Amino acid sequence: MKLVKFAAAFAAAAGMLAVGTTGASAESTLEIVKKRDILRCQVGKPSPGFYNLDAQGNWYGSDVAVCQAIAAAVLGDKNKLEIQSVSTQARFTAMANGESDVLSRTTTWTLLRDTQLGLDFTAINFYDGQGFMVPKGSGIKSALELKGATVCVLTGTTTELNLADYNRKNNLKIQAVTFEDNNVRDDTYLQGGCDAITNDKSGLASSKAKFANPGEHVILPETISKEPLGPVVRQNDSQWMDIVKWTVYALINAEELGINSKNVDEMRKNPPNPSVGRMLGAEGNLEKGLGLSKDWAYNVIKQVGNYGEVYEAYMGGGKLGIGIDRAGSPNALWTQGGLQYSPPFR
Amino acid sequence: MVAAAEPGISAQQPKEKVDPIRWLKENLFSTWYNVILTALGLYIIYLVAAGLYQWGIADAVWVAETRRECLDKNPNGACWAGVFAWFEGFIYGRYPLDERWRINFGVIVLVLWMVPLWLPRVQGKIGIAASVVAFYPFFAGYLFMGGDKSLFLQVMVSIAIVSFIGVIVHAVIGVTSGGSLARTLLRLTGVSGAGDKLQRNLLIIAALAAVAIAFMAQAQWEVPTVSWVRWGGLFLTLVISGIGITTALPAGIVLALGRRSQLPVIRVLCTTFIEVFRSVPLITILFMATTMFPLFLPEGFTLNKLVQVIVAVCLFAACYMAEIVRGGLQAIPKGQYEAAHAMGLGYWRMMGFIIMPQALKFMIPNIVGNLIGLLKDTTLVTIIGLFDILNMIQAASQDVPWRGLHKEPMFVGALIFFIICFSMSKYSQHLERKLNTDHR
Repeated sequence: MKLVKFAAAFAAAAGMLAVGTTGASAESTLEIVKKRDILRCQVGKPSPGFYNLDAQGNWYGSDVAVCQAIAAAVLGDKNKLEIQSVSTQARFTAMANGESDVLSRTTTWTLLRDTQLGLDFTAINFYDGQGFMVPKGSGIKSALELKGATVCVLTGTTTELNLADYNRKNNLKIQAVTFEDNNVRDDTYLQGGCDAITNDKSGLASSKAKFANPGEHVILPETISKEPLGPVVRQNDSQWMDIVKWTVYALINAEELGINSKNVDEMRKNPPNPSVGRMLGAEGNLEKGLGLSKDWAYNVIKQVGNYGEVYEAYMGGGKLGIGIDRAGSPNALWTQGGLQYSPPFR
Repeated sequence: MVAAAEPGISAQQPKEKVDPIRWLKENLFSTWYNVILTALGLYIIYLVAAGLYQWGIADAVWVAETRRECLDKNPNGACWAGVFAWFEGFIYGRYPLDERWRINFGVIVLVLWMVPLWLPRVQGKIGIAASVVAFYPFFAGYLFMGGDKSLFLQVMVSIAIVSFIGVIVHAVIGVTSGGSLARTLLRLTGVSGAGDKLQRNLLIIAALAAVAIAFMAQAQWEVPTVSWVRWGGLFLTLVISGIGITTALPAGIVLALGRRSQLPVIRVLCTTFIEVFRSVPLITILFMATTMFPLFLPEGFTLNKLVQVIVAVCLFAACYMAEIVRGGLQAIPKGQYEAAHAMGLGYWRMMGFIIMPQALKFMIPNIVGNLIGLLKDTTLVTIIGLFDILNMIQAASQDVPWRGLHKEPMFVGALIFFIICFSMSKYSQHLERKLNTDHR
């Protein structure tokens, strides 16, 4: 797998070089997407909750829902969408070379990525953070008790670096065992090959849920990193950035205003208050600066749902959800003690 | 290379009647340490087989809605229910459900088109093989991709339809009476006594007329577009490796001849090409083709990733094949070249009639080994996000209802690859025996 890394590094370097030439493009992404009449949205290899394939070959997941929302906002139809599954190594190159219009895949917003890759981060649609999972029988109650433990971790992500930082900070002498595939990592853990697994907590919850006996494992309370995840666009295209950003905010704001996919028609016909009317295009002209149609936000909510509906379906207790509690987590609305907060639609 | 001749010899020897008990005694229990080794071997086989049986059959769950249900029923066994739910996905990838008949239809046409190659009484097999290679890709290409047909594609599809029907009719005539389509046609029209040139012209006119009719017929035929993005599963694996395999051999022969050419420009070009592509790992070529290449193209100009991958695989395979072919050419004694020259044969006839037939025969094990390698190498396309069979198998393990189901799909994938590769290997052995004409 060294080769993969080499090739990826090479490709990423070339991608950065190319930013200079592609940044100042003649056509804006919005024009390109409208002309093509299909949105190219980049996700990664299937990952529970965020982007998944079902047995019929259809994509689903919370990041896929963001792609669908953007397609609905820009093109009026959430199905005018081409999902591109790109490996982690090639993700930023595929943005730089114009292959993808937007990247919506568990990519952590960091200063370096925001400033040095020719990319702009837009809004946060999921707050994640790294944690540890241990067998209940081990009696470990806190990550600080992991002294000298072997910890299974996926390679090539910030997860590995966060673990090293945490290890150094608390002088835990943790031994990391790295894996390429989360199934192999989990099997190793289950067979006693390591004392704990570390991953983003959403990933841990999802791993735990697939074990034969989920009750025998606990996720430790510590969160050792901040992983704000959200869609990413190419730099220097502020109109496209606005569109992506406000599409995510439309999902969040709709939930705050109590608009969902079922009542949105009624809400548009008889807006209970001016905020709802403005957002759904019944009054005012919020769409003007975005360069979208008057009913863009209506299309998003009608076709995709609001943030809460999307969360319930893929992250929460829905049939395809991975069962992460939202109440009390950063992903709850700000009105309920969480961090999900949309600037006002006016 | 001499080893290739051995099966031929033994095939000609009268078969000895084998007494099973004597055979066991001679081969497995001849000495005390052989007895121990045999016992140990049997024990290991027992362990593996018993484990597999326990996991895969005795404890297995065959009917369930989700993996959780499987685990509730029996956490120690395989969850085949998930494999059943995903099996079509492994085969067809993300191809739309309503359009999957097109893949089946394409495969059936290909098989029917190639069956005459194995029927002993059918004549003109080289022509049949050439028609498959030359025209089937256009027919299949349209069938799988769909959408609007360009005029060129319409013509090629018409030719493909005519040649397919021609081959089938020809094969039926061949099997029933040992004749050929052309002669039957001429006899039916009552011109079999005419001159060669007239006969040939008549046949060409008949073929053109058939193409014209097919052209009219296919104008109505249209299937919806299925973007290459939705191609996947075993289908995609076979498309990529199939095209790679069919181009590798001819391109390899050309490159090998070029490398041995007396003309310095051709020799240097071929050598450079071979060495460059052979010295770079396939994964790097794939990366270059799909992520680097677009950087050099003008803005907004996106290439079809699948085509890029196929081209990359073909170039790569051709280079390896070229070196195998060159090795085979090297093995032909100089006397063969000299004899061919002495008979007054030119370069191409010498190669076509004397050298290549002998050389290719030597190369069969290597060629097939290479093709099997190519088939397995195509799984590398997962790295650039194409959903071939391996990627679909991995996707199954992440699908929320079946989360964590990865051993069973992997097992099935291994089985599918084994079946394909083993039949290729068996077929190559059969070819070796069939083509084995020398008695060294």
